[in-house]
Amino acid sequence: MNQELTTEEKAALKSIAKNLETFNKQRGNLIPILQMVQEHLAYLPSEALRMVAEYLEINACEVYGVATFYNQFRFHPPGKHPVKVCLGTACHVRAGDIILENFERKLGIEDGETTADREFSIERVACVGCCALAPVAIIGETVHGHMAPSKVEGLLMRIEIEKDIAKREKEKSESEQT
Amino acid sequence: MPKLIIDNQEIDVQPGTKVIDAAEQLGIMIPRFCYHPALGSVGACRVCAVKFLQGPFKGVQMSCMIDAKDGMVVSTTDEEAVDFRKYVIEWLMLHHPHDCPVCDEGGHCLLQDMTVAGGHGLRRYQGKKRTHHDQHLGPLVQHEMNRCIQCYRCSRFYQKFSGYRDLGVLQIGERVYFGRYQAGTLESPFSGNLIDICPTGVYTDKPSRFIGRRWDYERTPSLCINCSLGCHTVVSTRYREIVRQEARFSEAVNGHFICDRGRYGFFYASQEKRPRYAQINGNEVSWEKSIQTARDQLNRISQESGPGAVASVGSVRSSLETQAALSRLCQKKGWQGPVYWIDHGQEMNVKTAAAELADELAVSLRDVEQADYILAVGADPVNEAPMLVLALRQAQRMGAKVCFLDPRPIGLPFSFQHISVAPQAMDLILAHLLKETIDQDTIKGLEPHEKKIFDAIPNNSHLVSSNQKLLNAVANDIRLSQRLVIVCGTDVVSETIPERAAYFARLLAKMGKQVGLFYLLPGANAFGAALLSDDAPTFGRILDEIEAGLVRALVLVENDPYGYYPDRPRLERVLQQLDLLLVMDYLDVRTIQDADVFLPTLTLYEAGGFFVNQEGRIQKASIAYQGGHPISQFSNGNHPPRSFRNQIPGKEAQPAWQALIELANENSATPKQGVRADILAWLVKTHPLFSKLPPDNAFPSDGIRINPGKDIHFRSAADRLVVPTLASESADQMELITVDWTFGTEELSTRSPHLRKMESKPCVFMHSNDAAQLDISEGDKVAVRSDTGIVSIHVTITDNMAPGVLIIPRHQRLDWQHLGASKITVSKDQIRKIREEEPC
Ligand code: SF4
Ligand code: SF4
Ligand code: FES
Ligand code: FES
Repeated sequence: MNQELTTEEKAALKSIAKNLETFNKQRGNLIPILQMVQEHLAYLPSEALRMVAEYLEINACEVYGVATFYNQFRFHPPGKHPVKVCLGTACHVRAGDIILENFERKLGIEDGETTADREFSIERVACVGCCALAPVAIIGETVHGHMAPSKVEGLLMRIEIEKDIAKREKEKSESEQT
Repeated sequence: MPKLIIDNQEIDVQPGTKVIDAAEQLGIMIPRFCYHPALGSVGACRVCAVKFLQGPFKGVQMSCMIDAKDGMVVSTTDEEAVDFRKYVIEWLMLHHPHDCPVCDEGGHCLLQDMTVAGGHGLRRYQGKKRTHHDQHLGPLVQHEMNRCIQCYRCSRFYQKFSGYRDLGVLQIGERVYFGRYQAGTLESPFSGNLIDICPTGVYTDKPSRFIGRRWDYERTPSLCINCSLGCHTVVSTRYREIVRQEARFSEAVNGHFICDRGRYGFFYASQEKRPRYAQINGNEVSWEKSIQTARDQLNRISQESGPGAVASVGSVRSSLETQAALSRLCQKKGWQGPVYWIDHGQEMNVKTAAAELADELAVSLRDVEQADYILAVGADPVNEAPMLVLALRQAQRMGAKVCFLDPRPIGLPFSFQHISVAPQAMDLILAHLLKETIDQDTIKGLEPHEKKIFDAIPNNSHLVSSNQKLLNAVANDIRLSQRLVIVCGTDVVSETIPERAAYFARLLAKMGKQVGLFYLLPGANAFGAALLSDDAPTFGRILDEIEAGLVRALVLVENDPYGYYPDRPRLERVLQQLDLLLVMDYLDVRTIQDADVFLPTLTLYEAGGFFVNQEGRIQKASIAYQGGHPISQFSNGNHPPRSFRNQIPGKEAQPAWQALIELANENSATPKQGVRADILAWLVKTHPLFSKLPPDNAFPSDGIRINPGKDIHFRSAADRLVVPTLASESADQMELITVDWTFGTEELSTRSPHLRKMESKPCVFMHSNDAAQLDISEGDKVAVRSDTGIVSIHVTITDNMAPGVLIIPRHQRLDWQHLGASKITVSKDQIRKIREEEPC
């Protein structure tokens, strides 16, 4: 379930270790500590969970148990393009779950996870406030209404193409500079 | 006492009884998943709903959450309640897989029973089920998470009840998951209980996976003989072998649970290597021939050199019947023995314990749970008597403080105080604590001989002053406590400790406290052995006499000195000198190779019998099956296993007591029936203590307790307690002690292939100060040189043990028998770091 940490994250772990010292070694501090870790890293990688367990001298099982109890904690790094699929009442009725399933299948990850290249993450959300467009998915900041399974691939492809274009333009401008 | 009516039947119950239990007392079994008498109620599963018709509650309520009250009228069969329960089952089954056919729980599954009983035979839910990944939890417990119905029994048992933390509840809502953070072997030595308490097939017994259904097995009440507590178990037998062992409820001993050493410790009975045929000089012969030969030779030797030329050694793992038969044989023939202990110090400790355990001081394992203070001296429960840990834990949960006086790195799943001092210093510290706690009035009222012991306690020493603060706190806690239990080990302690602990207990009782004394003994029937071996010679003396040619024949009954005698070269040499070595055993012990005559005996599963546990409780194991090779060893892997013969192969073995009686009789025509009754009659006649022994068919399930108390004096040295031994401390001397381990040292459980996977590697424990001084780091290999040999072993460094001490578990894979004695003193230059590949 774990991904390799990036160099920035490894550096962040170091400052987390320092920050830990400011907390008393009490079980009651577990949640504030987890919040502090998530503030640094945007999610709770297993390295950090183990660090916290070690610091508080409790079992990793307990840390994970508490962390997974609360919705506020994430266990996967956010993707560059977070995909949010609405499963609110209206979207549920219009088969939002099929949309979710399609994203999951295309990206090869499950709801709550992030692709290995950290490009995409999938999350299910409850009503995002545009029920008339149900079923709805949000990728990054853009809302896509009237989703259909056939549109999923197109949307993902569009992002790939945009990425390609950006890359090419970057290369072009770099070669122009030199 | 609340009086209520359940289903038109009236019942009086104790205040605080839950309605669900009140109903059970009437024989009405209200469905339940989350409720468990040992774990209490949480109201999580909603399946125990009943209808309250009158009284303080009205309508459909959870019977596990409500205390029985006067005037309640309850219906378990009311239509509304039945309907409610039916829907509960249906929703619990939503995500439950349809996998009963491939689930090992099927046949004894509470969920299966409730589903069928609730009438939910057909599923209506058509949707997708949520699924989970399973975890590898080690060699004992199989995990299958999809079957979970979220009753929380497992996490409550694992964390709350027993205090271990590596398994628990994770996630939330629909995703709730019971497991570990990451796959891995469960850390708790009580993990097998998950299998018993999970009402579905999430945790199942791994070693017996897919072998059969509950109804295929013959289930027999039995006992665990893997330590001295004697927990109650039930064994499942099929095709002439034990397949599974589970906990059996016992009010007085183990409650609802057992430890993993016990649960999986039975495999010795069906070991392929188990000797099943009588032998003379290593050649298979008939049972009769073996008996005849042994009898002739024993008679000849005792005619030639006198009966004292025959000595016998009995065993603490033998049944009381066998021990009695051996005593009777020795008495009749005038032989020496029986000796039960290879180590004389241990023998004295056990005998003292048995003698000191007066009826008014003895407490049962369950009584320990009620204490508000527990002082443990020279006891390491996880390693010596695992189930004591759970009892201590229950006391601790109720607010009791626990303090250990022990040199070892004691590990317990809850917080406790630990005074870690060298074995030599323990008596002094204990005496000091005693002096600090007993009040003036009590001292004034002491009998002169007791006063003398009290006065002899020295006032202060450097040992005390270096632990002053902790000792003061402990003494203070003891003074404040009301219900105190002193736990006392008999293995690593010096010879004065068991007596001092009893003295302490008596004085505290005089102070008006409720005091219990709880000894731990080495071996399931060590207590019986202590009672039946009054003035036996020591094993050491027998060896001397063999060397001197005075003893010419040795009879070993289910005892293998190679496992215990700390000087192997000498033992090998001495046994060679015998004219006759007669060995009887059901284990593949090393002495069989040396035996002139060998007789195979039966295990407790095949012979049944009485065992006396460490509190003097005689308990009975029933016969589970009729010996012989398990069919699986003959059926070439066929399924179902079949083999056609006109007699059972390997069925020659007899109970050891049968063999002993046949040896005692002059002709071979000893009947096979009635021998046991005969032995018991003899025992009752010769030993007044056993006169209360009830007949087999009226034997209470919790056994009967016999405590000799002051009437029986095993020892004469009355004033031995006077001066506590002062440690002769020298900076470069270290005390080396050999100890027990949960897995890896005990003779029976180490023959279980599954428990072998649980063993840690042999190692020597060393305090970090000593390690630093000797320039040794964790994992280094050292050679410890003693007067008789060298033991090379890896080092584990720890801080929670006494400095100046080396601790070596008597691991079956370690030749610790080259140390020369079970406790020795070594100087630091006898410990040398060696390179891994270097031969030693
Ligand atoms: S795993 Fe078993 S014991 Fe644990 S909550 Fe699920 S059903 Fe209950
Ligand atoms: S505590 Fe002792 S008697 Fe009880 S199950 Fe474990 S090994 Fe057996
Ligand atoms: S339910 Fe999906 S937008 Fe409201
Ligand atoms: S048994 Fe009462 S709610 Fe589960």
